[in-house]
Amino acid sequence: MPIAMTDAATDEASFVKDFCVPFLVSAQNVDGGWGYHPAAESRVEPTCWALRALTNVPLAVSKECLRRGWQFLRYEQLEDGSWPSSRGQKTGSWVTSLACGILSHAPESEASVSAGLKWLCDDYPRDSSPWRRFLGHFRTGPPISEQDDSYRGWGWTPRTSSWVEPSSFAILALQECPVEWRPATASQRCELAVGLLYDRMCPDGGWNCGNPRVYGVDGEPLVLPTAWALLALHDQPAHDRKSKSMAWLQKSVATIHGPASLAIARITLEAYGLKLPETTQKLRNLFDAREFLRTTEVVSWTCLALSPKRCWFPLAECAN
Amino acid sequence: MSGAEPEALLVSASGVCELNRRNQQLIPSFQRPASRVLIHHAADYQRELATIILESLKEFHLPVRGKTVLLKPNLVGLDPLGIMNTHPAVIAATRESFLLLGAAEVFIGDGPAMDRDTESILESVKLKEFTGPLANVFRDLNLDDVARVPLPTRASRLKELYLPKTVLGVDFLVSLAKLKTHHWAGVTLSLKNMFGIVPGGCYGWPKNVLHWAGIDNSILDINAAARPDFAIIDGIVGMEGNGPIQGTPKPAGVLIFGDDPVAVDATACRVMGLKPEKVKYLARAGTLLGNLEVAKIQEIGERVETVRNSFSVLEKFCELTM
Repeated sequence: MPIAMTDAATDEASFVKDFCVPFLVSAQNVDGGWGYHPAAESRVEPTCWALRALTNVPLAVSKECLRRGWQFLRYEQLEDGSWPSSRGQKTGSWVTSLACGILSHAPESEASVSAGLKWLCDDYPRDSSPWRRFLGHFRTGPPISEQDDSYRGWGWTPRTSSWVEPSSFAILALQECPVEWRPATASQRCELAVGLLYDRMCPDGGWNCGNPRVYGVDGEPLVLPTAWALLALHDQPAHDRKSKSMAWLQKSVATIHGPASLAIARITLEAYGLKLPETTQKLRNLFDAREFLRTTEVVSWTCLALSPKRCWFPLAECAN
Repeated sequence: MSGAEPEALLVSASGVCELNRRNQQLIPSFQRPASRVLIHHAADYQRELATIILESLKEFHLPVRGKTVLLKPNLVGLDPLGIMNTHPAVIAATRESFLLLGAAEVFIGDGPAMDRDTESILESVKLKEFTGPLANVFRDLNLDDVARVPLPTRASRLKELYLPKTVLGVDFLVSLAKLKTHHWAGVTLSLKNMFGIVPGGCYGWPKNVLHWAGIDNSILDINAAARPDFAIIDGIVGMEGNGPIQGTPKPAGVLIFGDDPVAVDATACRVMGLKPEKVKYLARAGTLLGNLEVAKIQEIGERVETVRNSFSVLEKFCELTM
């Protein structure tokens, strides 16, 4: 349905109100969660993004809708405090960061979130363990990648390697949750992870999944990992690497093809004070032109990017 | 049962997929009949591609009439120059060919490993310009509903994987790979291409749990759990050197077809001037999943010798070269 445009802000608000919120509300499953697609099985990740979007729109979203969402997340938590990426899995994953972050805004969640944060801070990637670093001294031949293994972040799954996106999500979760809920090791883990992000930056700015240079060849940065890393580094002191990456992201906006990348790029650049009103129409055009991959998290990110509240993570001050 | 929707899959209360048509028996190599592999010369992505693919598929008398087919191309990243992914012209022509052969539905699905913005990848390769609207055709396997699949081979340390219901529910699965070298596995062809069915929504971007379980053994486990019924390799332009992303484009001018992915990959290696028995995962696949030896592969179409085009490899893989 065409939306009458008076200015960019009105257009953004109406897109959020007339498309994003109804899409998300109607996509909620009976069990309270959201799947990656409407009618898909509920999963933790899309549920976290949908809840984050719906709690940050300046509209009256049914309390019952949110309550059922929180309930789904609490129900899915494993005994060790972590959350699995899909139902039935017995081990936690990176979605634990997302669940902790959004649940920290739900009532009566301290125990649940504290257990999740403890699991996060107790989970160390295996690639940078002292034993593997010791073994690394005996490695012969040229290194596969040039990275400093003394830094440790977080992996997608436990006991694997550190990667840019799960490390960024964990930093954001630890920043978002109340200090008194965080384990004693939280600050040290964040410090190491921030070091890892800078270490894994691509030579010309920006991040890919975490391989800035492999077999002597520079890796190409990607929009989403760059945006998540910059959001995680938002509260860190000014750094020429951050500026370089911001410049790369800003330059990349013109060539972004998908609404997922565009929405998160816009959130990131606005969090750093760069307004991009021209991307409103582009974002809408992308939705109008293509509907085949319209997923819960893409609509949620778009909702967050266009919501007049502009209240995404603890790093940005809300406009309202 | 044909044309099953993924949602129609029967999943037990414990979450184990009970209707896994992909999970095929492991047959010892001495019991297997010879496999057929067809090599077809194709100079470029323009002329007669649809005819070449259709005629090549007809040689195999595939049981696809009325069936649901899933094409699993190799879509690894943003690729505006069309050098690292299966070319969209090949994907579109293959889809059209299966429809002409009577398939009820032909889906295209992949779960890119390094970038979760699948839509940007599809736009960068302009897939829609070749296939038409993708709304009801493309499945992002990274974000599909999943079912638990115990791994019959247990080649790696993994005991089970959660795999997309779209993959487990189709009648006929086609690995539609690219002819490339790979900086960790040696080569990436139809078997390695199946890494893309492992969902990022469960395992992340990249699917690092597979690397920790051992790439070579994970390839075996995945293909034993979800064995492709047919394999096609786009070698019109391949990639040599530091593949699968940062290598050099290598025009090889071939398309390779076969109903045994191991035999197809072994033949592809020979086309690349590489010894398949020296590629770790292929050597083991030859004992578990299909035919590797020349004597057990019936070549139809072009002969390997007439289309051989030696691919350069990283120094650590120099023992692969013929």
